[in-house]
Amino acid sequence: MANVEGKATAITVVTPVRHGGRFLLAIVFWVGRHVTSTLVKLHQLSFIHYARWAVIRRFPDGGKGERLGHTYLFFESNFNGTWDQYIDAFSEVVPARMKGIWGTSYGFPGPIPVEPFKAYIRQNEFVANHYWSAYPASTTTEIISAQRIAAALEDFRGRSANLDPEAFATAYRALLTDVQRDL
Amino acid sequence: MKREKRNHSGQAYSLTVMTPILEDHVSALAAHLDALGPADASPLARVPGTHFARWVILDDVVYEGGRQRRDALKASRLLFTSNFDGPLDVYLEALRTELGEDADAVWSHCAGYPGRADAPAFAAYFRNHQLESALFFAAYGDQTVAQVQANVAQRTRLIEFAMAAQGLEPAELQARFQAAFPR
Repeated sequence: MANVEGKATAITVVTPVRHGGRFLLAIVFWVGRHVTSTLVKLHQLSFIHYARWAVIRRFPDGGKGERLGHTYLFFESNFNGTWDQYIDAFSEVVPARMKGIWGTSYGFPGPIPVEPFKAYIRQNEFVANHYWSAYPASTTTEIISAQRIAAALEDFRGRSANLDPEAFATAYRALLTDVQRDL
Repeated sequence: MKREKRNHSGQAYSLTVMTPILEDHVSALAAHLDALGPADASPLARVPGTHFARWVILDDVVYEGGRQRRDALKASRLLFTSNFDGPLDVYLEALRTELGEDADAVWSHCAGYPGRADAPAFAAYFRNHQLESALFFAAYGDQTVAQVQANVAQRTRLIEFAMAAQGLEPAELQARFQAAFPR
């Protein structure tokens, strides 16, 4: 059992969707794909590397798929930090979106207060048997900071190549000031 | 296929595969997955372009009680998900060739698995058991694994350089910088 790999944590949740809920989900996810505010909010949470939802109408079986009495909603996330911090943030920062998505599932208590929400996720969570991360030592924030630093360094190397030492030192200090928040 | 786009974010691809586990194989598969090595000892470490991936056994769907009708899967499912550098066909071939024996050791517990010797059948098996993402979030979907790792290394080098270079004279600073960050 392995939900943690270095700083990364895996969460895997499958919940039964109420009858009629899949039509609402189709709308919620259409909005999610076409109106960027949902994805922007997830960016603002700043500790999610990758997350996805999938609607399971039939469980794959190599043929037409196995149909159960309900549609199911699949969710996975790859994030840094603890499980509790993650659910707390979902509850505090994006409660309306969580309600829009899991409000279609049986038993969903709502994102606030957070304790019943946590109990619900725990009940519907599957623990990974094996989990892999290519960069277990890095947080999402560090990766995005590193991307900005790499770009700033590339730019600096280009424009500082022919400077005299005094001008170079001044430009170097300006570079450090520019990238300070990413260090 | 238009809906295929839903699995993408930038160059990142979200693969979700659920395969039925053979009757009486759940325990053996769980034991096998639980015993796989962590970090670089993971077989997934050998598959290029994999940011995060997991294997999860879904023994059955969760029953919430109340008005939900009780569902039961005919067969438990093995969930495999990966967040990787697209495209899908290249990645499926990498799973086949780089996981090698490990692919067979895992998926031979699943119904209909053709084995890794037959490349088209192997790829078809994954495509036939794939679930489409309804919403896929990638915090840095424009960056490949190699780019993430290179940027993170650059950031670390700049931090180390900035610490070591404090108080240097301009000429020395410039010389050391150009040595540390060659163009």
